[in-house]
This record gives sequence, C-alpha cells and structure tokens, in this order.
Amino acid sequence: MSASGNSMNCENYREAIAADPSESFEGGAEHAATCGLCSAYKAEMRALDATIRNALAIDVPELKIPDLPPIGEDDQVVNLPFRRGPRLTTPAWIGIAASFALAAVIGVQFFGAPSSPDDQLLAEQVLAHLDHEPWALQLSNVAVPDERFNRVVNPSIGTMDRNVGLVSYAQTCIINGRAIPHLVIQGEKGPVTLLLMPDEMVSGAVTVTGESVAGVILPHGDGSIAIIGEREERIEELGKRVVDSVEWSI
Amino acid sequence: MNSDSADLKRRERFDRVVSVLHKDLYRYAAWLSRDPGVAEEVVQEALLRAWKSLDALREDSAAKSWLLTIVRRENARYFERKRLETVDIDSLTPGQEAMLAETEDANLATMREAIFRLDDDYREPLVLQVLMGHSTREIAELMGIKPGAVLTRLHRARLKLKDEVEKEAAA
Repeated sequence: MSASGNSMNCENYREAIAADPSESFEGGAEHAATCGLCSAYKAEMRALDATIRNALAIDVPELKIPDLPPIGEDDQVVNLPFRRGPRLTTPAWIGIAASFALAAVIGVQFFGAPSSPDDQLLAEQVLAHLDHEPWALQLSNVAVPDERFNRVVNPSIGTMDRNVGLVSYAQTCIINGRAIPHLVIQGEKGPVTLLLMPDEMVSGAVTVTGESVAGVILPHGDGSIAIIGEREERIEELGKRVVDSVEWSI
Repeated sequence: MNSDSADLKRRERFDRVVSVLHKDLYRYAAWLSRDPGVAEEVVQEALLRAWKSLDALREDSAAKSWLLTIVRRENARYFERKRLETVDIDSLTPGQEAMLAETEDANLATMREAIFRLDDDYREPLVLQVLMGHSTREIAELMGIKPGAVLTRLHRARLKLKDEVEKEAAA
C-alpha cells in the first residue's frame, strides 16, 4: 500500500509505467493523481518514449513492389528461395542421432514415392517427438479448454476447425527448432497425434510407420501436417479431414 | 465476376494494404535485423508471400498484424539461410552506419544507437509497442510469449535506454 492509500504502491506503479507509459493498466491513473513523485516519473517516462519514438522512425526507402506472380497457376508461382535444413547445433546432432537410433529400434519405414533426405529427417523428428511425450497419447473424452487450444493454435499459426475431432491434448512443442502446435484428437481406434507445421515443407505425402503407430505427413500450403495414430486407424480419411480443417495464417 | 476482374480487385486490395503499411513493415524489419539492406530484402520476400496468401486475410483491418507476422517470419528465414545468428554491432556495414547517422540531433542519435544495441528480446517488443501501437496482448501473440514476459521486457528495455542516455549526458 502506498502512502497515498491506493492499492498500487510506488514500486508497482513505476514498473508498470515503464512497461506501458500510456498508463492503460488498472489503478495507474488513481495512483499518479495522488503521488507527486510517481506523477513526475510518468512524465519522465513519456518524454523518454517520445525520444524513443523519434529514434525508431528511421527514413524509409521508396516502396518497391516485387514482380507478383499470377495466382492459381502453380507452375508460374515464384518459389521463395527457402528450404530450411535442420539447425545443427551440438544438442541437435545428439537428438538426431538419438532419433535414428530410435528409428532403428522401432523399425520406421517410409512408403510411397521416395522421400527426400529432408522429408526423412522431419519424419524421424516427428516420431522421436512422439516418443518424448507418450503421456499425450491417452484415451479421453475430455476436450482441452478453448483458452488452451486457442493459445496453442494461435493466430500467428492459423486456424483449425475443432469439429475434426475431440482435441484431448494441446501443447506448443519444438520440431526442427520451431514452435508448433502438438494436438491429440480421439480417433476411431484411439488417440491420434497431429503436428501442425506451417514452415515445414515436404515434397509429397510421407508415410511413416513405427512398431505400433502409423501415420503420414501431408503437405499443406507452404507447410505440412503430421497425422499419426494406431495402426488400425483410418489415417487416410482422417488426414483429409484434418488438412481441410487447417488454414495457415500465412 | 470474371477472373480478370477478380485478379484486378485482388491486386488493388494488395496495393492498398501495402501502400498504407509499407513504412511500418520496413521499419519493423530494419529494427529486427538492424540492417537496412537486410530489411529491404526481407520486406520484398514478405510482400511476395503476402501476395500469395492474400486470401487468408479476411479483414483489411487485421492487415497490420498479419503483415508484421509475415515480416517476422521472413526475417527469421533470412538469418537461417545466411546462417547468421546476430549482427556484429561493433563492425557496422555502411548501411547500418547510415541508419544510425540519419539525424543531426545528438540526443536522438544517442537514443538510436542505444536502441540498436539493445538485445533482440528487448528491442522487438519496444518497436511493436512504441512504433506499431501494439497492445501487450498483441505483442505476446506475435512473439509467442506471455503478456507478463512482454511487460517485463518493456520495463527493462526502457530502464536500459534511460540508463544509456543518462550516461551519455553525464560523459
């Protein structure tokens, strides 16, 4: 409690005003009105902010719009010069080595068209990630709260129609160095893992089979979605529904 | 509506959105990368990606956050492609020197250099709040961190800048 009797004390106020000089936080205006020193501190922070604003407003070169490709003609669409390889820090190497070792144990296989090394590496990481979070794969009839779902599948990632299935698990996880939504929905035969990867392109559908799980990584826009469930699960049908339910924000 | 007409409308919408927000996009990219040359490349790539994904933007009122998100991702991609973790702030490129030397106002120059030297984690939320007018919640969503963490970073960023400016004034 401050000397002025407000619920916000001077220390709280100064921390808050330094974070938000517009004083949009609750109780701020009331405190400043009754505390001369804090009111002066607010004026100081606002003056500082004016200088910051001017300093940030650097000169901007003339707008140059790049050549824009026709839309809807895939063969004419300019490919952005990007295909990310894994970030190979020392711990990543260890992780990759571990995932290959895991793959050898559980007998991962890739079917269909030959996958590129990047696709295979991604599939290995997806399987290794499932192995790291086995508790996610539980039968459940309880959906995660909307707040949690919306925090994980947030606007910077995209949107997902929750009608695709009962989402019983939602967690932001790291695949290939990027934060992505890891969801579990309840399929016909058991829990099904979905990894929404807006930045991980695959060259085509990559079918992945482990000792007791089967799934596929499907290309979707400039990213991909991994759908992995019990071997008996009808992944093909589910995969289409999942892909249709997801829209990347970018 | 025939396809030519639809294409024209699409292009008009794109031009309208980009012309309004271009300055913000460039400045955000420049302060993220701390390099005007990189910022121009990042913005070009971001505009291409935005063009391809324009239909995902349902409301023009959301264009600013949408485009800033694209710029943020393109900036990350740029540094991944180049395998650069950071910009060496002790060895400035001519473009960076020009960026810092734009003003003749000594106080402004001091502040600009102090912002330039802030850690990325502190500089980015400051740019989003002060220059882009983003709320704490919007910054948290864009950066993928909690609102409390945003406020802590903003608080620390301002104290660091205040300290730098006061040191320079006393020197």
